[in-house]
Amino acid sequence: MLEDKDKTMKKLYTLAVSSTIVIALSGCASGLSTPSKAKSVMDIDTKTACSIEKNGLENVLALAKKYNPIAVKHKVEFMRFGVSTTKYIKGVDTALKTNSKTVSVIGKKKKVQKFDINYATERACRFAISALKQEKEAQSTWRLAVPGDGFKY
Amino acid sequence: MVNINNKGDYMLLKLIKTSALISLTASVLSANAFNVQAEKDRKALIDYTTKKFSDPVKNQSAFFPYSTKDELKKMRKNIPAEDFKDGTYAFDMIGKVSRDDQMEMPPFEDNVDNGEELYNKYFTNCLKAPVNNYPLFDEKAGKVVTLSGALMSCVKDAGLDTLTNKKGKKVWNYKGGKLANVEAYLAYQAQEDGKKVDIKINSASAAAAYERGKKEYYSQRGYLKLSCATCHVQGAGQRVRLQYMSPLLGHVTHFPVYRVGKGKLFTLEGRLGGCNRDEGENYKLHKPGSTWANDILYFMSYMSNGMDIALDVRR
Repeated sequence: MLEDKDKTMKKLYTLAVSSTIVIALSGCASGLSTPSKAKSVMDIDTKTACSIEKNGLENVLALAKKYNPIAVKHKVEFMRFGVSTTKYIKGVDTALKTNSKTVSVIGKKKKVQKFDINYATERACRFAISALKQEKEAQSTWRLAVPGDGFKY
Repeated sequence: MVNINNKGDYMLLKLIKTSALISLTASVLSANAFNVQAEKDRKALIDYTTKKFSDPVKNQSAFFPYSTKDELKKMRKNIPAEDFKDGTYAFDMIGKVSRDDQMEMPPFEDNVDNGEELYNKYFTNCLKAPVNNYPLFDEKAGKVVTLSGALMSCVKDAGLDTLTNKKGKKVWNYKGGKLANVEAYLAYQAQEDGKKVDIKINSASAAAAYERGKKEYYSQRGYLKLSCATCHVQGAGQRVRLQYMSPLLGHVTHFPVYRVGKGKLFTLEGRLGGCNRDEGENYKLHKPGSTWANDILYFMSYMSNGMDIALDVRR
C-alpha cells in the first residue's frame, strides 16, 4: 500500500517538475520569439496607427522613423512634389527643436513648402508604412496587369 | 583513317554521331529557349494593343472609359502593329499633322550634327555591338548594358566624366545633353540603314534580368500607386490633360526623343526617371544606369523587337 503511495507521489513529482520545466521553457521561447511574432507591416491599420489624435505626435513620428529607413533601403520611398518621406521626418524634427508648429521643407524646383506639424507627421507615417505595404502587395498583384498573363480584357 | 571492319564498330560510330547531333540540336534549342517567355509576352502585347486600337469607338467601354465618343472618332482605326513605332502618332491623327510639319525641318538636326562630331572624336571604337542590339546582356559582367551605359563607360575611359558646365553640372550625363546628341546621331544612322530593334536573350541570366524588368514595369509604386503599365499598357491612348499616353509597344523605337515643350533631347534613362517621379516615388534612389533601370529598359526594348528605329519629336 505504502509502495503504491510512493509510486503515485513520485509520478506526481515528476509530472510537476516536467510541467514546470515545460512552462518555463515555453515562457522563454515565447519571450525569444517576440521579434518574429512582431506585428507585420501588413497588419498595421495605417489610419489608426498614424493618428496623432489617438497616439500623439511623438509616437506617430517614431513609427515613421521606424519604417521609412526600410522603405529607403528597399528603394520604394514615397515622394510628393519633391518632398520625400525623409524630408518630412527631418522637417518635423527641426520644427520640434525650434518649437514651431510649421514644418518647412525644400521641394520641387527648390521651392520651400510649408506644412502644419501634425499634417507633416501623419503624412510621414502614412507614407512610410504604405510604401512597404504596397511593395509587399505588388509581389502578388503585378501579374494581374500583364497581357497574356493575369490581365483579362 | 579508321577502318570500320565489323558491324559493332559501325554501330558505335553511328551512335556517337547521333549523340553529337542530338546534343548540338539540344544546345541550339536551349539557347533559343531563353526568350520563349519574352516572345509570348511580346505577342500578347501586340495582340492587346492592336485589339484595343482596332476600333476605339466600339471599344470605348472596354478600353477608353474616360474618353468621349467625339474624341475617339478622331483616332485612327485598325492600326498595324509596326505602326506603333510612331508612339501616340500611330492613333493621334491631329497630333500627327503637327508632328509631320515639325519633321519637315526636324528640330534635332543640330543635335544630330553635334552627335556625329562627338562620335567621331570619342566613340568610334566604343560600341561592342550594333546600336539596334542595345540594351544587351553582358554575360561576362552579368548585367544589362544600355546604349547610354556603353557610351558612358567610354566617356569615363576618355576622362570626360568630370567635365562640368558653368552651373557646375556634369556635361556628360545619362539623361540628355551631349550623350543624347551622340545617341541621336546613332539612332539617325540606324534609321537611315533601315535597322530594326533586335534585342537578344541568350542565357538564363539574361532571361532573369528580363523577368526582373518585367516585374518592376508592372508593379505599382509611389504614393499614387501607379505602375509603368498603368499609363503605358492599360492607359495607352487615354488622355492626361492634353497629352495621350503612349503605348509600351514601340516605346523605345524613337529615343532619344526631342520634346518640343522642353526644347531638348531626352534619353530613355532620362524619361524613365521622369515616369518614376510621376508615380510618386523617390526617383533619386534609382540612379540612371542602375540595375533596376537597366532591367526595365531591357524588358521594354524587347517588347519593341522587330520594329523600325525612328528618331522623332514629341510635344
